[in-house]
Amino acid sequence: MNGTRMFQSAPAVLVASVALCLPVLAPDFMLFEFSIAVSYGIAILGLNLLLGFSGQICLAQGALFGIGAYTTAIFNVNFGMDPIVTLPFAAIVTSLIGVLIGLPALRLQGLQLAIVTFGVASAFPQLLLKMDSITGGVTGLAIDQPMAPRWFPGSQELWLYGLSLICAAASVFMLSRLLRGDTGRLLRALRDNPLVAESLGVNLTKGRLAAFAASSALAGLGGGLFCILNGFISPQSFLPMKSIDILIGGIVGGITSMAGAFIGAVFIVFVPGWTTAINPALGGLIYGLCLIAMMMVARQGIAGLPIGRGLQALKHLFNKKGLSRVSGAVPGQLGGE
Amino acid sequence: MAVVAPAAEEGSPVLSVENVDVRFGGIQALKGVSLYVRMGEICGLIGPNGAGKTTLFNCVTRLSTVTAGTIRLHGQTIETLPPRQIIRMGIARTFQNLGIYAGMTVLENVMLGAHHLSGGRFVDALMRPRRSRQREQEIEHRCRDILADLSLEDVADVAAGSLPYATQKRMEIARALASRPTLLLLDEPAGGLTHGEVTEFGALVSRVREAYGVTVVLIEHHMGLVMSLCDRVEVFHLGQNLASGRPEEVRANPAVIDAYLGRSR
Repeated sequence: MNGTRMFQSAPAVLVASVALCLPVLAPDFMLFEFSIAVSYGIAILGLNLLLGFSGQICLAQGALFGIGAYTTAIFNVNFGMDPIVTLPFAAIVTSLIGVLIGLPALRLQGLQLAIVTFGVASAFPQLLLKMDSITGGVTGLAIDQPMAPRWFPGSQELWLYGLSLICAAASVFMLSRLLRGDTGRLLRALRDNPLVAESLGVNLTKGRLAAFAASSALAGLGGGLFCILNGFISPQSFLPMKSIDILIGGIVGGITSMAGAFIGAVFIVFVPGWTTAINPALGGLIYGLCLIAMMMVARQGIAGLPIGRGLQALKHLFNKKGLSRVSGAVPGQLGGE
Repeated sequence: MAVVAPAAEEGSPVLSVENVDVRFGGIQALKGVSLYVRMGEICGLIGPNGAGKTTLFNCVTRLSTVTAGTIRLHGQTIETLPPRQIIRMGIARTFQNLGIYAGMTVLENVMLGAHHLSGGRFVDALMRPRRSRQREQEIEHRCRDILADLSLEDVADVAAGSLPYATQKRMEIARALASRPTLLLLDEPAGGLTHGEVTEFGALVSRVREAYGVTVVLIEHHMGLVMSLCDRVEVFHLGQNLASGRPEEVRANPAVIDAYLGRSR
């Protein structure tokens, strides 16, 4: 079991070490792009909880991301709040709106819910344009970007990257509190078999809405961070396609893996650029093929890839050495995916 | 056949089902069914397939809704409660085709049984992690005791889906016990078990009744198990009560022989 746990935490350790080493390895403009990826990663983290653990699909994650971004911008522009201080508010406001979006989920599941939430994502940019008195309409909103304090030795990009990592760490920390223990079990229970869950006393309504609330809070926090990183937002940043991108990031990274959320975020931020760099005319085609190949090779997402391989290698090792104590005592112990 | 409510000196009824009708569209699944289960007894429900035994369980656990009639637990009507309240009332059940979570470990499955005691507190999980962890440890401790009691401690951390069928059934009982029930409903607990496993299972159920002070109602087709284990047997046929009594009485009842047991016995 300890062996299995070790392999499960391998991607997390890898992602965390890469994140911490990046400032040394990457130039400042890359650091900025990685910061953006982290902000998406936080929104994907929310989708992990919602889709991966509670089994509800939400194609409005990009709109919720936008609501977080606009909350930060409006609080800063209208009330002069420090953008960093607005982040908790971005999470809370988005969470409340997320619960409203989640209400139909109590009756609709699966494909119907996908369409309803995508409807929200489609309406969102138009809504921003209509509410131009507070959102600034087409011109968008520019915020006062938080500057690196004087004592900070690095660049402005490094400062913002550090801020992103702190937000990400806080998100992972809070999410892992929700996913362990009873709350995590009840989410998986209502995902895998709602009928049995209900007969075990699980409050399906509360569980589903809590998942929406937490997922949206993360989307809002990611959005708020995105706004700070860019210093400027407009409806153009929150088109319906953003929600699909976030879903792709979640699935490509591995929908039940926290490390996978950030791997997926890096994927959706960098890979479209790389494929265009390979051939400017065929960028979309190569990206599409990439996605198809990805799902053929790594069905459980990138984060699931090394685990599966690692476990198989482990099994082979034990079988070769004949350590029946481990593999024989409890059949199927290592058999899980 | 009329079912007479048990006299007071025979022990108070834990569960009383009175004149329950269930209709699914045009199909009448239960017609005026009654059942009285006394404190501490093991009551067997038998009858041919389609007799409405599982439907009755579903009514008691509120997965099906009664069209008419009342269901009382310790005198309190429960037929209109939301399904998730039933386990809080002290009724735990197992499912005919297993209601286990294959992807979770045995321990996790069993701990889900204790969910209703203190679970589902998202805000506490976020804001008061120490308290949640403490609660989690208490539940884990109690569930591990139950696992040890049912000789499942060796597989506590194994995915439930990878276990043999008999072990999964035992785990489902462990999960039911984790909910601190007063009434245990077992739906075909011996179905699909080998001969040796059935005997073992009978011993387990009667031990569980003593150790956990539960009243048991079980649906079972394995007549050997029913006859040796049950204090009382209730026979259903075509959605109605057919007969009721001690196992040997029921076995000798000509109506039961015609409808269910067959002449050769």
